[in-house]
Amino acid sequence: MKDHFTMDEPQPRVLDETKQGVIGTPMDRPDGARKVSGTAGYAADHKVEGMAHGVLVRATISRGRVTDIGRASVMDLDGVIEVVTDPRMTRNPAQGMAGEAPVQPGDDVHYHGQPIAVVVAETFEAARDAAQRLVVTYRKEDAASDPDATPDTEVGDPETAGDFDAAWAKADVRLDRTYTTPSQVSAAMEPHAAIAEWTDGRVELRSSLQMVRFNKAELADTLGIDADRVRILSPFVGGGFGSKLGLGPEAVAAAIASEKLGRPVRVVMSRQNVFDAVLRRSETRQRVRLGASKDGQLLALSHDDRVSNLDGEGFAEPVSQASQFLYRADGLSFTQTVARIAATPAGSVRAPGEAVGMVALEAAMDELADELGVDPVELRLNNLPDTHPMDGRAFSTRRLADCLQDGAARFGWADRWTRGTRREGDWLIGMGVASAARSNMLVKSAARVRLQGDRAVVETDMTDIGTGTYAILSQIAGEMLGLSPDRVDVRLGDSDLPGASGSGGSFGASSAGSATFLAAKRIRRDIARKLGCPEDALTLQNGRARGDNREADLSELIDQELVGEAEIEAGKTDESHFSAGFGAHFAEVAVNEWTGEVRVRRMLAVMSMGRILNEKTARSQALGGMIWGIGTALTEEVQSDARDGHVVTRDLANYHVPSHADVPGDMQVVFLEERDDWANPIQTKGIGELGISGAGAAVINAISHATGHRTYDCPALPDRVISSLAP
Amino acid sequence: MYAFDIERPTTVAEAVNALKTDEAQPLGGGQTLIPTLKARLAAPSKLVSLSAIAEMIGISREGSTIRIGGATTHGQVATELAESYPALGYLASKIGDPAVRNRGTIGGSVANNDPAACYPAACLASGATITTNTRDIAADDFFLGMFETALEEDEIVTAVTFPVPQKADYQKFEQPASRFPLVGVFVAKHDDGVRVAVTGASESGVFRWTEAEEALSADFSAGALDGLSVDADGMITDLHGDGAYRAHLIKVLTGRAVTASR
Amino acid sequence: MKTTLTVNGRSHQVEHDARRTLLDTIRDDLGLPGTKKGCDHGQCGACTILLNGERVNSCLCLTAMHDGDDITTIEGIGSPDRLSALQKAFVEKDGYQCGYCTPGQIMSATAMLREVSEGAPSYVSGDLDGAALTDAEMAERMSGNLCRCSAYPLIREAILMASEAET
Repeated sequence: MKDHFTMDEPQPRVLDETKQGVIGTPMDRPDGARKVSGTAGYAADHKVEGMAHGVLVRATISRGRVTDIGRASVMDLDGVIEVVTDPRMTRNPAQGMAGEAPVQPGDDVHYHGQPIAVVVAETFEAARDAAQRLVVTYRKEDAASDPDATPDTEVGDPETAGDFDAAWAKADVRLDRTYTTPSQVSAAMEPHAAIAEWTDGRVELRSSLQMVRFNKAELADTLGIDADRVRILSPFVGGGFGSKLGLGPEAVAAAIASEKLGRPVRVVMSRQNVFDAVLRRSETRQRVRLGASKDGQLLALSHDDRVSNLDGEGFAEPVSQASQFLYRADGLSFTQTVARIAATPAGSVRAPGEAVGMVALEAAMDELADELGVDPVELRLNNLPDTHPMDGRAFSTRRLADCLQDGAARFGWADRWTRGTRREGDWLIGMGVASAARSNMLVKSAARVRLQGDRAVVETDMTDIGTGTYAILSQIAGEMLGLSPDRVDVRLGDSDLPGASGSGGSFGASSAGSATFLAAKRIRRDIARKLGCPEDALTLQNGRARGDNREADLSELIDQELVGEAEIEAGKTDESHFSAGFGAHFAEVAVNEWTGEVRVRRMLAVMSMGRILNEKTARSQALGGMIWGIGTALTEEVQSDARDGHVVTRDLANYHVPSHADVPGDMQVVFLEERDDWANPIQTKGIGELGISGAGAAVINAISHATGHRTYDCPALPDRVISSLAP
Repeated sequence: MYAFDIERPTTVAEAVNALKTDEAQPLGGGQTLIPTLKARLAAPSKLVSLSAIAEMIGISREGSTIRIGGATTHGQVATELAESYPALGYLASKIGDPAVRNRGTIGGSVANNDPAACYPAACLASGATITTNTRDIAADDFFLGMFETALEEDEIVTAVTFPVPQKADYQKFEQPASRFPLVGVFVAKHDDGVRVAVTGASESGVFRWTEAEEALSADFSAGALDGLSVDADGMITDLHGDGAYRAHLIKVLTGRAVTASR
Repeated sequence: MKTTLTVNGRSHQVEHDARRTLLDTIRDDLGLPGTKKGCDHGQCGACTILLNGERVNSCLCLTAMHDGDDITTIEGIGSPDRLSALQKAFVEKDGYQCGYCTPGQIMSATAMLREVSEGAPSYVSGDLDGAALTDAEMAERMSGNLCRCSAYPLIREAILMASEAET
């Protein structure tokens, strides 16, 4: 019943042959009307009969053990039902695609802000009051919380190609720079939330989660029960950006409290909780060394980094990921150091690696261009590799050169002036460029398509975190079955449906989209048989089937439901070919010479990212990424107390995500046509993360072009910019 | 949030009476106090909401002065003073965001005296009078330091009266997330001299920059500030900027305010 | 305690804890979850409602302060099959992604367009007499509503589209 497909060879461009003509169109989202009317149901929106309210209690020490949770201090308060602790509670969200329980610390405290209990009460107000009042007793232990000062570090083996030292020695021009980026957070607008309810030994969890297939396994493992006793529902997710990849402690707390109390329990993290106990992006210290010949050929490229995480977390921000495939050099070397600290653990935040690694690499490329007296666009064009510099794989498709050239022409790059020479009143004006790159993946995914006359249903546990999954899956199924997408109903985010990749790593559309494509393709086979024509002669359009001089309306031809289910996974093309999205970012900024304030005036991104499934949602994704780049360059910074690691910037008045006023209206996105036959059968690449990869660097490079001075520490806050101007 | 009672009197007299309870606290628009309660940084036994007291709402012109009721929102001030005292109207129009301006009140702002609040700078530079249920207090005597004022227990700010200067302007360099000023400078040119009040910058709260006042009283031009500087000692250093940067901004913004004043 | 509110034209009497905010009353007691909780501290704008016609953060309003007040929530603006011009424009321009801040953006924009029509000043331009609703003007007037998906340019395109449709 289920087709299985492995991506072992390049695939024909079926979606260019089908006749419905909806792929790539800027169709409105089918879920749009619900979102704009407040009727899309997010996790905490559901009202369940008899529901109690839970509030998490946070540890206020950085390391040690809870010796008494202080239950007696709050049990007398009106409405308080119970203070729940349990050895199955988790200290932080699971890492993406873990599929197993995160660390379950029991009474141990590993970082300041760790959830250590959940107080459940009849009202939210009572639960919050009690959670804040609890008098917890600890036995404290010493632990280092400062990533720069901790003695506990793990230095990885260098990843190399060629001989870096020899190439560095040969270089005519050598650039050796250190850049830093601070810790950042996803700060999705919807705080992490869960409602759990047990019926007949089976738990149903409504939670805001990006990867339902993995989350189901994580909850089962955490609770120590079989996965078939777990159902997870996550039909709408109020933003994820990596922060909801893994099952969170609020969901575990809700499930355990609900089990113990025998009634539904809702646990919603406060915004402060989200800052404390959700995986952050590590701060980075990055040393980039570029050696080049006088004529602008890169000879040596090294990108070493230092990041941090809590013990027991396997994740380390893959800072040099893009540096390993963007440019050619005779010798390349990459070494990572992970500092172990007692602080909020680190994990995936939009485009882990590229989002911050490219800020340093692309700033260094800019500095090298200045040293060489070469145009920054030219320097990049002159150093593109023929094959993957580290492993020799062929690039599947790569239009980076086209993106740089097309972008330069559109942005007016040729009119760029000498660094530090353009002013308008008190404002210094500059333009910057950066390459964009983000590796592309295919992750095992299944989907089921049901055809009922001239209506279809797509079913998968895939999620839509704002990316447009509801739209693109209806377009893919509609295209394949010759139906207008409004005749396709898409059901997502239910763990009882076929398991997909989930939303993460920009692989969701390609992976779940391919599974949907294959499931619909299977149905086309059945339709052809019913019509009495070979499958390759079948044309489906507007609810009508044609082939070999026969034709019929689907509503008449399909008298019984046709069901197709398919699963796809990566195969040999992944070994032979390297697939990544590429692009070029351009930014123009104005810097106030007296206050150091930076205003972004306009940005342009030109991108080649495989087939575009929906021009409207793709553009939104790209724009969002670019604006995250503005945040990286100018505003976003988690600050923690070096003594105990507690997060100081615990709300949205201290952690500044870009607002309307930070973002110019002139934000342009251009997609260049591309089909990646080696990536998957729908020829797509990931979109959600390419927009941020390199975007911050374009802004940073524009600041340097405006002022004639460079800032090495992100974000370029006004006082840092003013300091950089000082003689 | 600790448990508390809440009352909603309709006259100042009722409010004063309600405040006689131990640990009772007045509640203006709540835009600062409600988040403070949620963070459990305040624990009143009773909140006395001032938002239904009609006599405390509204703006009136009395000769060369403007009287603003203590429960008047920033939004009302922004809209109604655009012509009659544009610098003050402009200040009000830049507090927080529109939703906050529709609730936050002038009385709440001056009574709280946040070291980065905007209104205290306007009060000091304008030479305003803060009126309570018992007395009138000159702005110079009212703001005593960070979150400290001359208010006694049970005393409510019922109105603030501003003399309208010949010329004035407010310049604010804001921390973009909270929109509180990193530094805000209010410059007012009166018949008897210039007053310059600075908020957001000092560890002791809002203050008058007297050297600048003397220089500008002699010569009301940005050039008169040449040669002056603000000592970074005692300036706030925090996540958003250090003391030296704030000291630098004070001079930059004072110059801008002089140039822009009208 | 007991408070009487008129919400989307209907009168409700709610019994509540003195600490309850309008946001929690609207979401949990009145069953209108379209209004969202993003920060509960007045910093994100997701909970924006119209209170006696003016936009406010409902998370910074104690229910007890609002006896007799008139409230409009996103559910009072339009339903999926009867969207307002602004709601339609958000769909057409893709002025959202995850949709969580969207009700707040639309409530705020609904009020903002009315404020502009009444000549409410902002610091971008002293007044709007004869002036267009520029992008910078909208950016300032909408600055209290955060969108982490960062649909900002498209949100403003949607607002402009709706405002032009009305005039």
